[in-house]
Amino acid sequence: MFDALKYSIVKSSFRILALVMASGFWCLQASAQKSKDDGEVSTEVVTHDGDGIFDGSAYFTFSVKNSLNTDQEGSVSYLVTTEKGEKLFDKNIKVKIDRNSNESYDFRIPELKAGFYKINFMINVSDYDDTTRRAFGIRPKEIRSQYARPADFDQFWQKAKDELAKVAPNFKLTPLPKQNTDNREVFLIEMQSLDNYTIRGFMTVPKTNNKSRKFAVLLGLPGYQVSLDPMLGLDNDLAIITLNVRGQGNSRGEIDTRRDEYIFHRVEDKNKYVMRGVIMDCVRCIDFIYSRPNLIHDNILVSGGSMGGYLALAIAGVDKRVNLCSAQNPILCDIRGMVGEVDWPITSFRKYVATQPGFTMDKLLNNLDYYDGKNFAPSITCPTLMGIGLLDPFAPPANEYATYNLLAGKKRILVYKNLAHEITEKYKELEGRWMRDTFALF
Amino acid sequence: MLIAALQQNTYADGFPIRPKRLLLAPSVSYFFANKGWDSLRVKRPFDNNGKFTSLTYTLFAEYGISRRWSAVAQLPYVTNTYTQTNFNSTSRGLTDLETGLRYYLANINYIYYFMLQGTVITPLYTNPGLGYGLTGAELKLSFAGSGHMFGTNYYFTIEDGVRQYFGSQGPIQNRYSATFGLTLDKQFKNQVSVAFGGFYSVSDFKKFDVNPALDKNFAFNQVSLSYGHSFTHEFAVFVSAGTFVSGRNTGAGSSASLSLILKPFR
Repeated sequence: MFDALKYSIVKSSFRILALVMASGFWCLQASAQKSKDDGEVSTEVVTHDGDGIFDGSAYFTFSVKNSLNTDQEGSVSYLVTTEKGEKLFDKNIKVKIDRNSNESYDFRIPELKAGFYKINFMINVSDYDDTTRRAFGIRPKEIRSQYARPADFDQFWQKAKDELAKVAPNFKLTPLPKQNTDNREVFLIEMQSLDNYTIRGFMTVPKTNNKSRKFAVLLGLPGYQVSLDPMLGLDNDLAIITLNVRGQGNSRGEIDTRRDEYIFHRVEDKNKYVMRGVIMDCVRCIDFIYSRPNLIHDNILVSGGSMGGYLALAIAGVDKRVNLCSAQNPILCDIRGMVGEVDWPITSFRKYVATQPGFTMDKLLNNLDYYDGKNFAPSITCPTLMGIGLLDPFAPPANEYATYNLLAGKKRILVYKNLAHEITEKYKELEGRWMRDTFALF
Repeated sequence: MLIAALQQNTYADGFPIRPKRLLLAPSVSYFFANKGWDSLRVKRPFDNNGKFTSLTYTLFAEYGISRRWSAVAQLPYVTNTYTQTNFNSTSRGLTDLETGLRYYLANINYIYYFMLQGTVITPLYTNPGLGYGLTGAELKLSFAGSGHMFGTNYYFTIEDGVRQYFGSQGPIQNRYSATFGLTLDKQFKNQVSVAFGGFYSVSDFKKFDVNPALDKNFAFNQVSLSYGHSFTHEFAVFVSAGTFVSGRNTGAGSSASLSLILKPFR
């Protein structure tokens, strides 16, 4: 019996031991799995130039961090293409990245002519594959558009301004006291523009007891199909006007297009294209600023992003009363160079051309020559600030530089190597300091 | 002279001023010294329990002429008193009028500013107890900037000026200062600053006088701490306290000042 008892105890002990061991083994396995699951492979591309612009050959470092508990084997590669996607160079190297380790691979890209290029870095290893998209520029200040400005470009716009001058502006200012803030008064502004369209916007002015106080002006221009609201803020030195051009926001009026139709509205006739009126709406707004005794007429900054950036360039080109121009990611620059390179707005133009008998892409591009941001640039003599993203799919950097390089006045460009159709807060801060310095708002 | 240097550091004056804007900074300063450094930089009490005090009322003004140019002027009224056992001497009156032009040279990213100032020093007195009584000229370069740091805003000013007093044994001086200030709130209402500055003055006239305004061959360094409060955009008050930390052939004193900053025409 004692033996039986001992056997039973031993047997139970073995069972418990086996259970403990099994549990321990399971725990170890789970722990190992957990450790593997917790880890990851991550990559980073370091561009060895602050803003992705190189004088000679571009130079990158592709870093891989393997925090998995397993070695990673496979390849790291890059592919350089033109902005239109034509392959230029590639390189593939075999790699083995030990578990819980880092590896870095330096890539010096062969010499390229002045321009912008896309580069994709690919990693394909045991437990991970990924592609990192970047772009870089080679001596972009040497970039020149291949396409000429129409000989009668200035006359075209002078004629538009002459037509605008015949329209009585009938400026109207309506206080919107419910929208006032502690430090600013808000007004609805209305004016008649080209084709006698009614254009609206908002003006906010710092509150002051000094009736003779005058303010510098920020004219904010709208993005594509964006409805602008009153712009407030704490700046006590600045009146801020936000303009809704025809077909947008509270100036939609007769041009009530669908979102994607606005860009080609009446583009078959260069004298009726929507942007002709839109740009004249901006000129009319400068007329409005000049009509206001409480605004400083030689302290006008025009600023906008995307279509707003384009309008900032356009208005600074056609109206010398603009004192500073800030264009962020302006669209419609070097338009002929965008064909085959960007999706929007070229696809929208193509679709429209296909619906118009007798209208061709050539005719469309001929008309758009009068609206190309690049063609306004030589007339822009006021100081201009531009911001671009190297990954911008709508405003490619080469097109932006083709425009920037033609600017006739003092100019500065901020390049964001890892951004697409956007700029950073630092751009806006610099814009503010630049404006305050230029207008002596110390 | 010394007190004026201290009170100028109570606000950041290395930045351009807006055209047509007038900045007025009336101030009152009190300076006290009962010790001095000799020519070997040894600090010792003044003879016979000597005490030097100076009470200075100063009006500083700057007017923005254009974006790059501004006019500056500074007019002090001083009461200097020296007492020692069985001796008492007081001098009072307007002292050295300073008038000048400031030019905004350049900036870096609209954050850091370089300014150049030319100043003429005109003595408005004949009393030898109030100063050298010599006409002088100064050229001063300043570098100033501001930004964000540790969740707050800072500013700094670094200045260096070379001043030559003309006439017999008129000293040539290097006047330098560095100020660093922090705002204490997002509304820029309150700020504190620390400043370091000093003079290095060279002349053939090497005699020591307990009145620092009369020494010509001397050097000193001082530190000061200031607090400023802006009541409105047009009106701010600064209080400041400072002390000399090293010197040669000059008094070893401490000072306190109260300054008002007025921008009457916005």
